[in-house]
Amino acid sequence: MPVEVIMPKVDMDMASGKILAWHVSAGDEVSKGDPLFDIETDKAAMEVESPGDGILRFPVDEGAVVQIGRPVGWIYADGEVASDPPGGIPSSKDEFRQSVPGEATADGSRNNISSGPDNISGKFRASPLARSLARADGFEIATIVGTGPRGRIEAKDVRNYQARRESEADTSDALAVSESASGTGTPIILLHGFASDAKSWTRLESNLGQRPLVRMELPGHGRSQILKAVGFPDLAATVRQTFDGLNLDKAHLIGHSLGGALLLDLANARPDLVASLTLIAPAGLGPEINGELLAGILRATRSESLGPWLKKLVADESLVTESYVQAAMRDRMEQSTRAAQEAMADALFPDGVQAFDLRAALARVEVPTRILWGKQDRMIQWNHALRAPGRVAIHLLDGIGHMPQIEAPEEVARIIEANL
Amino acid sequence: MSGRSERVRGKLSYAEAIREALDIAMDRDERVVLMGEDIGVYGGAFQVTGDLFGKYGPERVIDTPISELGGAGVAIGAAMTGLRPVFEFQFSDFAALAMEQIVNQAAKLRYMLGGAVSVPVVMRFPAGSGTGAAAQHSQSIEAWLGHVPGLKVVQPSTPEDAKGLLLSAIEDPDPVMIFEHKLLYKTKGHVPRGHYETPIGEAALRRIGHSLTIVATSIMARKSLSAAEELARQGIHADVIDLRSIRPIDRETVLASVRKTGRLMCVYEGVKTLGIGAEISAMVAESDAFDFLEAPIVRLGGAECPIPYNPELEKSVVPQEPDILEAARNLVQGRI
Repeated sequence: MPVEVIMPKVDMDMASGKILAWHVSAGDEVSKGDPLFDIETDKAAMEVESPGDGILRFPVDEGAVVQIGRPVGWIYADGEVASDPPGGIPSSKDEFRQSVPGEATADGSRNNISSGPDNISGKFRASPLARSLARADGFEIATIVGTGPRGRIEAKDVRNYQARRESEADTSDALAVSESASGTGTPIILLHGFASDAKSWTRLESNLGQRPLVRMELPGHGRSQILKAVGFPDLAATVRQTFDGLNLDKAHLIGHSLGGALLLDLANARPDLVASLTLIAPAGLGPEINGELLAGILRATRSESLGPWLKKLVADESLVTESYVQAAMRDRMEQSTRAAQEAMADALFPDGVQAFDLRAALARVEVPTRILWGKQDRMIQWNHALRAPGRVAIHLLDGIGHMPQIEAPEEVARIIEANL
Repeated sequence: MSGRSERVRGKLSYAEAIREALDIAMDRDERVVLMGEDIGVYGGAFQVTGDLFGKYGPERVIDTPISELGGAGVAIGAAMTGLRPVFEFQFSDFAALAMEQIVNQAAKLRYMLGGAVSVPVVMRFPAGSGTGAAAQHSQSIEAWLGHVPGLKVVQPSTPEDAKGLLLSAIEDPDPVMIFEHKLLYKTKGHVPRGHYETPIGEAALRRIGHSLTIVATSIMARKSLSAAEELARQGIHADVIDLRSIRPIDRETVLASVRKTGRLMCVYEGVKTLGIGAEISAMVAESDAFDFLEAPIVRLGGAECPIPYNPELEKSVVPQEPDILEAARNLVQGRI
């Protein structure tokens, strides 16, 4: 069976790539890791390495545009017969190919679905569920990029596409916002930290009394879409844009960790609209951050590997139960989510360093501001709080880690309520 | 029903559960008779009938000569004329010798005689591989008989079902074929006391999940359940359906699960090609549940070869727990 060389997905929103040039010709011998061809996407050109050892056969023409996940050539083992390509050869004009359905064989072979190229001209690999979802919503399945095996369009691709279309129809890059059903008084805006989502406020919310709550979610987190630009200024602009879209006269801001840094930036940019600012273990007050802990969380693809890192976020590790870890892992199951967060971490915390500094912003902010920090925080050291100017209230919590809103929701709520 | 000892008892083995069902049926209905080779004094090739010969005597526990064709014919004739015979094969493989009686007579007579007679016979088939009994004593041929309209075919995987399905089969007016996996005879489980019937044609949802649907038969239901425990630890949660009956098939239970999970895997010991998995897969593909599929269907079945004698080879030709684990992970994690 020849090894398929596929068009790789090299950036988040790439749908197809153009073959700029082959480094080897059909019939040449290649080794795994050899430079094979150059591609060009909307954003970049890059070199693609050979996925295996053998002879390159049936490369697509230079200049061809090929959808991600679809083959651009095959590598045959030495001596492997290659009379025809595994299923009709693509041309530069036609990026889709003959179908070779997986055959049930009576000769004892496993029920492999053919890994050869597929798709009769104009047809797409899509799961039946994806097709029925697309049909129900009345759009062409062809407009969706598949992320499943061999580029199969799956239900999640359709749902992501739907969500993207809806949010595009709304405002371009705004964040997902959820609001509490009831409450009176000045609303509270909540923004969670990196690799978390709005659910992290649940325990605090039940202690916050009857105020309207507005929870924002960071790009690529919770229900927010994935954004291309993930540097701190981009995120801050997105938060501002989302806040402006809410049309509030005044709001209390509560942010945790990265969310704290972003709301501090917001308070600095919109001083007249902010009633108070509460920063819980905020980022942005010093360069140090636990890069190993961040990387561990980002790397985890199973609850077994996620759990030990999540425990480091809190002081009392018994809070991190198995079901909590499993729920957290479920939220991270999507490969695209993990990839988006990795891209963010790379921009925000390169080499395990906080690449943004908000001490100047904190010095400028005049609204009532307080900082809450757990003294057992293993993500960001609590003594960053000491860099705040004198008029900022500092509450240091004993026996609490990086998640005071989860570890001590009553106490955090009491401190906040007393100052609202 | 007085006192603790009456209400509480230990687990029964699958073989003991079958014997208890036979005993109960014989006790409450004198038309029930047992027939088969060595089922009397010897107690059966797998000691399933045990001491029933001592209790009911040679009139009702009848040793038949070494002729499956003859024995099955006598049992079918007896059923047509008013008895409720339960015929035991020593090995299910020997059904091949009795196919004329099973397929051309038992399955057809009610239909061909316009309903004037019925054939309330039960046939018990010790089946499956794993005992080192080689190619002629290790097959899983339930799909052969599952192909014949007029028969009912069941495969209990637990002692409770072994008893309940046998009692249902004895009550049934038509021929019922029961495939009993030989490796299950010694497995133990809770078995309700007294007479009860497990309905023929109803699958059992043994475990509830959302990531994929595993439809399994006989001993593969047990292996799948055990694999599902491990999968759950890895964050993959399977619906495990023990089909129990392959004719008729519980279509709705399978389809409802596939609509929920979008991923289907069939696990069975019989030869994969043209087997139970093919039927289940086609059933889904022909139904509205097709629209809920998120990935190709996976079948794990027996290899395309006779069952080898060598124990390692014997293991390798039927699905084992690691095969189920790997296939389920590949299916759910988008590698197929």
